[in-house]
Amino acid sequence: MTQSRFLRSARITAAGLAVGALLLTGCSATANKPADSSSSSANQNALLTIPREDMGTFTRNFNPFAPTVNPMVQQSIYESLLIFNPAQGNTTPWLATSWDVAKDGKSITFTLRDGVKWSDGKPFVADDVAYTFQLQKKIKGGFDYLKAVTPEGTNKVTFTFNTPWSPALYDVGQLTILPKHIWSALKDPEKDANAKPVGTGPYTEVDNFQAQSFVLKKNPNYWQPEKQKIAGIKMLAFAGNDGANLAAANGDVDWAPQFIPNIEKTFVAKDKAHRNYWFPATGAMINWQLNTAKAPFNDPTVRKALSMAVDRDQVTKIGMSGYASPADCTGLSGNYESWKNPAVKDNCSWTKLNVEEANKLLDEAGYAKGSDGKRTLKDGKPFEFKISVGASSSDWLSVANVISQNLQAVGVTAKVDSPDWAAVVAGYEQGTFDSGIVWSANDPSPYKYFNTSMGTATVKPVGTKTFDNYHRFGDAKADALLKEFVAAGDEAKQKDIAYKLQEEYNDVAPLVPLFSGPEWGAYNDTRFTGWPTQDNPYATLSVRAPTTVLVLTTLEPRK
Amino acid sequence: MRFILRRLGFYLIAFWVSITLNFLLPRFMPGDPVSRMFARSAGQMQPEQIEALRKLLGVDSRPIWEQYADYLHNIVTGNMGVSITRFPTPVTEVIASQIGWTLLLGGTALVIAAVVGNLLGILAAWRRGGAIDSALPPLLVFIGSFPYFWLAMGALYLFGVILGWSPLRHAFTDGLEPAFSWEFIGDAGAHLVLPALTIVLVSIGGWMLGMRNTMIATNAEDYITMAEAKGLKPGRIMFRYAARNAMLPSVTSFGMGLGFVVGGALLTEVVFAYPGVGYQLLNAVQGLDYPLMQGLFLTITAAVLLANFLVDILYVRLDPRVRAS
Repeated sequence: MTQSRFLRSARITAAGLAVGALLLTGCSATANKPADSSSSSANQNALLTIPREDMGTFTRNFNPFAPTVNPMVQQSIYESLLIFNPAQGNTTPWLATSWDVAKDGKSITFTLRDGVKWSDGKPFVADDVAYTFQLQKKIKGGFDYLKAVTPEGTNKVTFTFNTPWSPALYDVGQLTILPKHIWSALKDPEKDANAKPVGTGPYTEVDNFQAQSFVLKKNPNYWQPEKQKIAGIKMLAFAGNDGANLAAANGDVDWAPQFIPNIEKTFVAKDKAHRNYWFPATGAMINWQLNTAKAPFNDPTVRKALSMAVDRDQVTKIGMSGYASPADCTGLSGNYESWKNPAVKDNCSWTKLNVEEANKLLDEAGYAKGSDGKRTLKDGKPFEFKISVGASSSDWLSVANVISQNLQAVGVTAKVDSPDWAAVVAGYEQGTFDSGIVWSANDPSPYKYFNTSMGTATVKPVGTKTFDNYHRFGDAKADALLKEFVAAGDEAKQKDIAYKLQEEYNDVAPLVPLFSGPEWGAYNDTRFTGWPTQDNPYATLSVRAPTTVLVLTTLEPRK
Repeated sequence: MRFILRRLGFYLIAFWVSITLNFLLPRFMPGDPVSRMFARSAGQMQPEQIEALRKLLGVDSRPIWEQYADYLHNIVTGNMGVSITRFPTPVTEVIASQIGWTLLLGGTALVIAAVVGNLLGILAAWRRGGAIDSALPPLLVFIGSFPYFWLAMGALYLFGVILGWSPLRHAFTDGLEPAFSWEFIGDAGAHLVLPALTIVLVSIGGWMLGMRNTMIATNAEDYITMAEAKGLKPGRIMFRYAARNAMLPSVTSFGMGLGFVVGGALLTEVVFAYPGVGYQLLNAVQGLDYPLMQGLFLTITAAVLLANFLVDILYVRLDPRVRAS
């Protein structure tokens, strides 16, 4: 008797709890949905909503010198002199209207745009540019080639270099410019939170800053007011991709720049008319780096043979879900499409799968196969090594696993080693690693890529820390070409040298290029239209690139 | 009193050991914050900037004992330094801005799980072999053995996406400003339900089983039979005689749980995009942010020790045997 009474009361309690939960949750679910998309007046006031997937919470810190900068600081608050768009290979003048590279390559003069104002109403002048570089060099270093930045009047600024330095144009041109009148008044500019930023960008006014969301509203003094068609930008914080992907799938955000697995099914299929994605191959080249300070990787024949054993189609299909494009023997990613040497590109041998040839090369080089089908090194040890990848990068881990399987066909044993990224990178830096899957430099000019893959100047001995050229390869012929490259004033001549660099790259195979990293990006045009696409590649869909401001000034509310 | 003083001495030593470990462990990890940052930026940073960044962030290269002395001094004076991953925000500010949500979420879930779990355990043991006793423990253990991540994702998908009953993310609707208004409190409450519920679901089984088992042992004691023979009401025997004595282990677990709440619920924060220190801690460890790591570990250590100390004092009140020895 007592037992059944208790059961009844328990049932009632449980039901009560459930109803309570329903009431609590039900009442707010509607508030969370974006504004009704059918009414165009709602779209006029709608905020462009963007998730940030690797910041669980925001701190009110809009200092562009901070190691982890808040989203949109370098994109919509501060602007640069020019913008390079890797998707199309073109350059858009921005705060500068034109520039002039001196014949000897030792200086560049920028002419600044008239009528540009900071968001507090003060005019933008050449002094601001000079001061920004002074501050940048003092706080963050870099720009070692820069001798002086001299303002001439209010609208001209000249950069002079220690030696002719042709890659400088994009380097200095894409640094975001700060207002001198604000920053020179700060005692510790590197430690200031810059809570109320003053910039030249389209959306500068911070509004309703909360731990997990904030809004940027229109700059009242923007220099192209006709392009501020959206009311503002809202950033949402997420601790990881899952939450951000759910928001995208649910239609709560307009722009989804994070990686979404199986995007056709999980994102696009829910609303085919409005959702789209575009992954241009403008990311950095992802290489399989072999430590050339170690035998047998110091032998170019071995590097080429191993490269031939890798099935790049399988690597991109399994490792990168088919979203990346396989590399060719120029070593250049899709970012440098216009720099590629057709003579090299069309006659690639060692970046194509050819197991037979790989076996032949290894046989000829003296790494004989034993009776068990496994090769031995020249010192009699088995041909075995590790591929090091950080444990958290599941995509690159599967890339390494595919390579390891591919290599079995040529009798080489590669073990995938996946500790924490920190341990992996420590091995890269000290030069103690065997091989690893590594990113590479991705600038508008291919100079840095070639310099860090073949330049002797970047090679450090094993045991000395280095931050690029982990594979420790230097080549005298490439050095001479690189020297010519930096001294070459005009782009036609640079291209000519870049062609020769690719020939050299093709000869010596400093790295094993795998695939061009894709630039992730997806959008939902229910509320805003004018997104960049493959047919209209005026920018990429990245929210952290210099081209982001081009998207922000092109989008308009759906009518 | 002597008991409490002795405990206090013990806790001081425990505190010193843990803050020392706290100092040493992060420094055994390979690399330094700047090279981690560099590796994470995957080619976006210039190598020339590394030295400048080291200087800017104040990465220490002094001998380790000097750093240790400094560290102890800073702890005593409450100066925890500036976070590296969140530079230039001070560590205290980073923690203070998140800890409230962590305490709210963890505290709510812990209190509900402990109270409901213990009550269920008491009832199950009181009526051994009854409906609660035979149905609930297997069910709760079954649910509790699901990977939390999976359970939380499933719950979010079911109640958030398909049914639309629950908000999908964050601690309150974006656009609202925190205030002591019914609107805000209701909204924050609605956002709290599902995350807290998932934590309760996976942890309640442990509470119930633990309580049930001790309670069964207590029920077999002579004084229970004595109480029944005296003709006391079953409810009085159940709570005042049996449960009070059986509760001691649960009180210890509750104290421990209370301390660990401060560490944050990382997976909940990831799935529900709930603010809190858990994700911050993960970031700090991945970025080798020594000051933030130390700050967070210190907070956790202090909370665990404090909670245990309180439990010890409570024990004196609950269990006369402790007083006597």
